[in-house]
Amino acid sequence: MAIQGSIVASILLSYLVAACYGATFSSLQNTLVVTASPQAGQVLKGGEDNITVTWSLNNTFPAGTDSDYKTVKIKLCYAPISQQDRAWRKTEEELKRDKTCQHKIVAKPYSPSTNTFTWTVQRDVPTATYFIRAYVHNSADKEVAFGQTTDSHKATNLFEVQAISGRHVSLDIASVCFSAFSVVALFGFFFLEKRKAKASQKS
Amino acid sequence: MADIEGSPGSSMHGVTGREPVLAFSVASSTVPTDTTAKFDLPVDSEHKAKKFKLFSLANPHMRTFHLSWISFFTCFVSTFAAAPLVPIIRDNLNLTKSDIGNAGVASVSGSIFSRLVMGAVCDLLGPRYGCAFLIMMSAPTVFCMSFVSSAGGYLAVRFMIGFSLATFVSCQYWMSTMFNTKIIGLVNGTAAGWGNMGGGATQLIMPLLYDIIRRTGSTPFTAWRIAFFIPGWLHVIMGILVMTLGQDLPDGNLSALQKKGEVAKDKFGKVLLYAVTNYRTWIFVLLYGYSMGVELSTDNVIAEYFYDRFDLKLHTAGTIAATFGMANIVARPFGGFASDYSARKFGMRGRLWTLWILQTLGGTFCLLLGRANSLPLAVTFMIIFSVGAQAACGATFGIIPFISRRSLGVISGMTGAGGNFGSGLTQLLFFTSSKYSTATGLSYMGIMIIACTLPVTLVHFPQWGSMFLPPTKDADKASEEHYYSSEYTEEEKKKGMHHNSLKFAETSRSERGSRVVSAPTPPNSTPNHV
Repeated sequence: MAIQGSIVASILLSYLVAACYGATFSSLQNTLVVTASPQAGQVLKGGEDNITVTWSLNNTFPAGTDSDYKTVKIKLCYAPISQQDRAWRKTEEELKRDKTCQHKIVAKPYSPSTNTFTWTVQRDVPTATYFIRAYVHNSADKEVAFGQTTDSHKATNLFEVQAISGRHVSLDIASVCFSAFSVVALFGFFFLEKRKAKASQKS
Repeated sequence: MADIEGSPGSSMHGVTGREPVLAFSVASSTVPTDTTAKFDLPVDSEHKAKKFKLFSLANPHMRTFHLSWISFFTCFVSTFAAAPLVPIIRDNLNLTKSDIGNAGVASVSGSIFSRLVMGAVCDLLGPRYGCAFLIMMSAPTVFCMSFVSSAGGYLAVRFMIGFSLATFVSCQYWMSTMFNTKIIGLVNGTAAGWGNMGGGATQLIMPLLYDIIRRTGSTPFTAWRIAFFIPGWLHVIMGILVMTLGQDLPDGNLSALQKKGEVAKDKFGKVLLYAVTNYRTWIFVLLYGYSMGVELSTDNVIAEYFYDRFDLKLHTAGTIAATFGMANIVARPFGGFASDYSARKFGMRGRLWTLWILQTLGGTFCLLLGRANSLPLAVTFMIIFSVGAQAACGATFGIIPFISRRSLGVISGMTGAGGNFGSGLTQLLFFTSSKYSTATGLSYMGIMIIACTLPVTLVHFPQWGSMFLPPTKDADKASEEHYYSSEYTEEEKKKGMHHNSLKFAETSRSERGSRVVSAPTPPNSTPNHV
């Protein structure tokens, strides 16, 4: 009786612990096959070019693996080279703290057959090297599986995005105009006052 | 009762007590009022105000005060405007941690030189044009942010904007032409503290502007550039206000007046010599680097730190970061007040201990801030850190006027430059390399603050002692007059150049604390109980 009780207690405890601890990346199974339209090394233009993502369940896994899969979230993720010297893009084991994948492409309900989605690279995506990863969430919105376009070392099949500069000709012109006004106003006042002072001295 | 000599109530002890060191107004009896002058405030013989009326815009004194501190505030806003927007800028320009760190160093380095030059500019053109020239010539540099497209450009623009921090010098210079020396400490301290607030206000203003601009439909990488136009316009507006509403001197402008100075012009070389050869100058240059310097460094890194470490929204991180800089509104004057209050009982020793305590407190909480893992704890530690560091700035300038009378200007300038140098150094050491995280950098900075505050124990005045040692036993050397007139050679003393210093030495006797020898009791009073 006591042993049964302690087993139940330890099961409950481990469930609690698992629930409290964030899911870690290494606990996820790589069960999705994800491919994307950009070739390795291709440079996409922010705001202009499209990415077509295709994903499906890897059929080599036993049936029933996807029993608790609910939604799929596709994200644009930084490759290691773009994470160097940039701690705000660091990869962490604990998924809640992981900053590798910061740009959401799409979230779709899970279906084991082939899915596709075409996405225009948004204008706030920075210039960097990327790959694409899909996270599978269960009904409790917790990550349970993933798939990505690159290998486990994140070294193959990477592509680049060239971001918009954010500059505009109208901004540049406005900037020059206000700067010129500032300088002209300053020297204008200065010489005007000097002349007035000279005039008042003479009179 | 009172007419019986020696009875209670008849003693003259303390009646001629020392003047208050921190005062909102100078008692009329100590400085003669010029009654012929028609100004809003009571003025002295040079027409400098003897009273400080905060909520007045009267020409020329209070108007100058407000124009001056708001100009300085504006320059702080633009110098640190990039800091709260770094999470967006770093993505737009593809910056690395070292790019961001180096730009932060650059933003405070420019003014080391511009502050040194500004003194001469104010002498030549007057403080009004000194301020106006700087603020309007740095407006184009602020507008230049719209052109930036690389790490190098970002660094260059932040460097150029940083030159505008020299408005500190024009601000203090302008105050000293308008306010009597007895209240100049409070006036300058308030102006400096409120100007420094700009570093905090900008952390609120810029994310707010960015949010508003984004709501009108701009993409992030354009919105931050547009946001920079607002500080730029502030520069232009303040420059025009300074030129049209301000005047150099209480009686008018420099170019229209023929000013005959009463004070004999001192030789710059001599003034510099006595500043540089006084070891206390260098200790305070170091110390200010770890009170003002760390304040500037923190202004540059704190918003990004909260954004990244605690996953906050940009304007939330900005709001928290703003409380750091905004604490200046009370913290810096509080430091000056604490210094003066401790001096009443303990004299200069009290001032030195106050400075050490405040600055070490700041350092301790900076260390703890880096270690804090929860948001409420981090914010609490940050606020205590800010009060400690900023109060230490105020307390520093409670001591600086006593280091030297002859070279006060140069020592103040060097100390100010030391602040910027300390900022550049701490940013370079702790927030530029990827070797350690920002959190670790903050902790290390806290340790360095504590270590670099220890030299204050070495500051010794022969007439007042130091933190641990009493004043020198040599009766000759232990006088204020000896200390302040030792800055003049015998020849110069013969010319009477040291008279102002002697006058100052007399008033500085207040730094003996409660040991002040009050006026001698009247000769014909006898104590009640012999």
